[in-house]
Amino acid sequence: MIPFGLGLDVKGGPVKMPPPVPGKPFLRWSSRTHSIAGVEAELARIWASISLTTPDEDGIPERRVAPRSSVMNLVVIAGKGEVGERAAAIVEGLTGRHPSRTLIVSSADPDGPAWLDAQVQAHCLLPAGGAAETCAELVYLTAGGETAQHHATVVAPLLIHDLPVTAWWPNEPSFESVQTRDLLTMADRVLVDGAAWSGDGLRHLAVMARLPAQYHVEIADFALLRQARWREAIASTFDRPAIQPFLRGIRGIEVEYATRDGTPGVSNVVRPLYHVAWLASRLGMTVEEPLVMADEPWVGYRATLRAGRRRVAVELRPIESSILRGTTLAVEILANRQSSRLRIEVTGQAEGVTVGATLDGRGMQPRRFLSPRKAEGQLLAETLEGVAADRISAGALTMAGAILGPGAGGAATAAAAQ
Amino acid sequence: MAKTATPPAPAPAAPRTIRELRLSRDGRRRRTPPPEGNPLREGLRLERVPDPHVMVIFGATGDLSHRKVFPALAQLWRTNLLPQDWMLVAVGRRPYDDAAFRKDIAASLAQWSRVPLEPEAERQFLERIVYHHGDFADDATYDRLVERLDAIDAEHATGGNRLFYLATQPSAFPEIVGEIGRCGLDHELHGGGWRRIIIEKPFGRDLESARRLNREVGRVFRETQVYRIDHYLGKETVRNLMVFRFGNGIFEPLWNRRYVDHVQITMAESIGVEERGSFYEETGATRDVLQNHLLQLLSLVAMEPPATFEADALRDEKVKVLRAVDQYDRAGVADNVVRGQYGPGWVAGQPVVGYRQEANVDPQSETETFVATRLFIDDWRWSGVPFYLRTGKRLPKRATEIAIQFKGVPHRLFEHTASDPQPNLLAIRIQPDEGILLRFGSKVPGLGLDIRTVNMDFTYGSAFATDAPDAYETLVLDAMLGDASLFTRADEVEAAWGTVTPIVDAWLDAPPPDFPNYPAGSWGPEAADDLIERDGRRWRRI
Repeated sequence: MIPFGLGLDVKGGPVKMPPPVPGKPFLRWSSRTHSIAGVEAELARIWASISLTTPDEDGIPERRVAPRSSVMNLVVIAGKGEVGERAAAIVEGLTGRHPSRTLIVSSADPDGPAWLDAQVQAHCLLPAGGAAETCAELVYLTAGGETAQHHATVVAPLLIHDLPVTAWWPNEPSFESVQTRDLLTMADRVLVDGAAWSGDGLRHLAVMARLPAQYHVEIADFALLRQARWREAIASTFDRPAIQPFLRGIRGIEVEYATRDGTPGVSNVVRPLYHVAWLASRLGMTVEEPLVMADEPWVGYRATLRAGRRRVAVELRPIESSILRGTTLAVEILANRQSSRLRIEVTGQAEGVTVGATLDGRGMQPRRFLSPRKAEGQLLAETLEGVAADRISAGALTMAGAILGPGAGGAATAAAAQ
Repeated sequence: MAKTATPPAPAPAAPRTIRELRLSRDGRRRRTPPPEGNPLREGLRLERVPDPHVMVIFGATGDLSHRKVFPALAQLWRTNLLPQDWMLVAVGRRPYDDAAFRKDIAASLAQWSRVPLEPEAERQFLERIVYHHGDFADDATYDRLVERLDAIDAEHATGGNRLFYLATQPSAFPEIVGEIGRCGLDHELHGGGWRRIIIEKPFGRDLESARRLNREVGRVFRETQVYRIDHYLGKETVRNLMVFRFGNGIFEPLWNRRYVDHVQITMAESIGVEERGSFYEETGATRDVLQNHLLQLLSLVAMEPPATFEADALRDEKVKVLRAVDQYDRAGVADNVVRGQYGPGWVAGQPVVGYRQEANVDPQSETETFVATRLFIDDWRWSGVPFYLRTGKRLPKRATEIAIQFKGVPHRLFEHTASDPQPNLLAIRIQPDEGILLRFGSKVPGLGLDIRTVNMDFTYGSAFATDAPDAYETLVLDAMLGDASLFTRADEVEAAWGTVTPIVDAWLDAPPPDFPNYPAGSWGPEAADDLIERDGRRWRRI
């Protein structure tokens, strides 16, 4: 990746390079301009340029560029420059896998005069076996002054029409701001990482849960996607014929999560809440009492759900731990059926999860599921592939919103403020 | 009145009418409703990890196991798709101990793995493999195996689930299956404890032997326990064929005799018989490829949309197609099937010997290394549309492709153009460069009105990571999960033999063929070209 302005010709154009290595993305084009019209012209110039050639094995120029292959528009709302660079590094790695037009938007110097700086790049990948190259465009857009207040107007003309628009907030989003709303109206999908939000994260989550209905967007939260193995562990336990009938007898869901000092409100509880929301949405539960922060008889968050005629007690308990704050330590599910009692406990370890079940005091063979933590790039790739974008996530998110209650910031944050 | 005179109270009549049935229900204690399945499962298909189980591979020292099965298992292990409580018992005739066998497997993994394993992951994987030495014909082998499996269950919490894999010579199949039955290893247990068996092709060498094999297997296993592997069905593109046909709305309306002129299915190999001369002598291209791979592809292209994406719904539709394929009599075989055998020639710039000069091949061999056929499917969708199938060894390149050739336009509007528009074509490439190509006419830019054919080409490599799993990974995982969609059912195998058996039988009665009849490195005998050209069509240049 080339940082802004370093060693670049201001006019820019094709980048001289050694013969490309198959399977490794490389920079093919880099140029700089200061207006939207300029960016449009540069993008057109990349694909029209006949000088885009690669030296072949004998050093003879050979034109091998395939027509631009784009499967989507990816808009990265980076805020500050270094976030943009991190995002760019990830996106470049995906060149061959998800060729897209990527617009990385960041702002600078909010009080100065309005200006726009755009760096237009083409990243290409030569697949193995002499096939045509796949190229993707990357445009860094840095807006200064008042322009930074109008990101959507910068992005809109540069989107490839007819292709889906994915908006990614690698950092904390501000879903309620006017700029964000304008961006949301043109997005099809929104990517966030709820586990990275500040505070308990519930205010953002409550707002986000309403976005699909307001803007017809689909939301993919890396925090939810990372829990797939937990879900598999729980689902596999209920696959056992002896245990399956208890699905209709759940009366308690308890999640323990890591905090620095055991107090709620400071650590992010998006992930713990997602465990509950997924179970509740899959099992068709409704919310009786939204989530509140409580300190009696213990400190944490509590809610009551309802499954048919049964009440289901939900508890999120902070536990003092040296592990990253907000990480789920254990999920416990309690269920009754006739006179039998079932307790399922899933505990997280560094490399996976272990699930154990106790039926009327008899322990069943525990099972271990490995799930190495996925890097941001891998999650992004999987999400973009559409594998994870599903009604399961949508249902869990809606349920999470319902558990937080109808108030804008959610009852829990209101309680926290008291 | 004497007590005995009291007529016995009439036994309540069994409820008959619908009202009575309802009332009789009311009286009973309400039963718990049957389990509704596990709603937590939804959406977790990709994350699903099979139940803990022990896999037992017969023929574990063989070539197939080393090249395909173990590398596939290692990949599944690497990607955490195997359960942690998993063990593998490798059964073989060669005298190995666990350590020596693991060393052998490690060497094979180094050679054949798609993505190398981390040393730690490889160590853990190998640790789960134990070797069981014994002769397949010896009862003691199996008695010891039973004890060993029970011990593994106790030690490794594998829950009594067993997946057997027959990777031996086909001649050993009945014996092994019989022994498994004798020891009761096939019995599924209440409360879990499934037993499944994967069988490698070939399933028989004609209709009669296929039926016999199915019968032998059926004596021990229920059909739902049997997974017959045709690795072609595990390939990404083959599975994508179903998505392409039934996940898109615009192609299916064209997918019938009204719009399709003909279909070509080609599976070309540039290699010869390699070291498999003696095997190939008994098999030939018809049994080796046409009966399974080509007819499977044909049935996927031609089948009706299944009602659900479940194993049996899918296979019901495939069987219907196979049963609708015309069976030829002798004259029909002479008219519609061409066989060939390669002579010496050049492939990829290298001189190669003819089939009869290959190792372990009879110098007078009459085994076909090439077969081309024209088949018709007699149903409402395809009646009258020819399906041209061809496969061969030592053809110019390795390529597998399905081409749907559409009919031309009904009226030539652009009469004055220099070139006629060619009919549209949809080609589904299975290997190499998996992808889909649609060919259509386009105006050549300029003042005149010329039409040139252009391609709209989708290659997997450009839209998705090319990191597609190997077919064996897909299939073995499916068998572990109990999903039989991509495996061949007994009636499917028999229906395919129903088409192929008359062909191979007719050749037995025919005069000796004029072999070799095509040089290595060519696209087969001239008669194959005649087969299609007399219909006014041509083989696609691939």
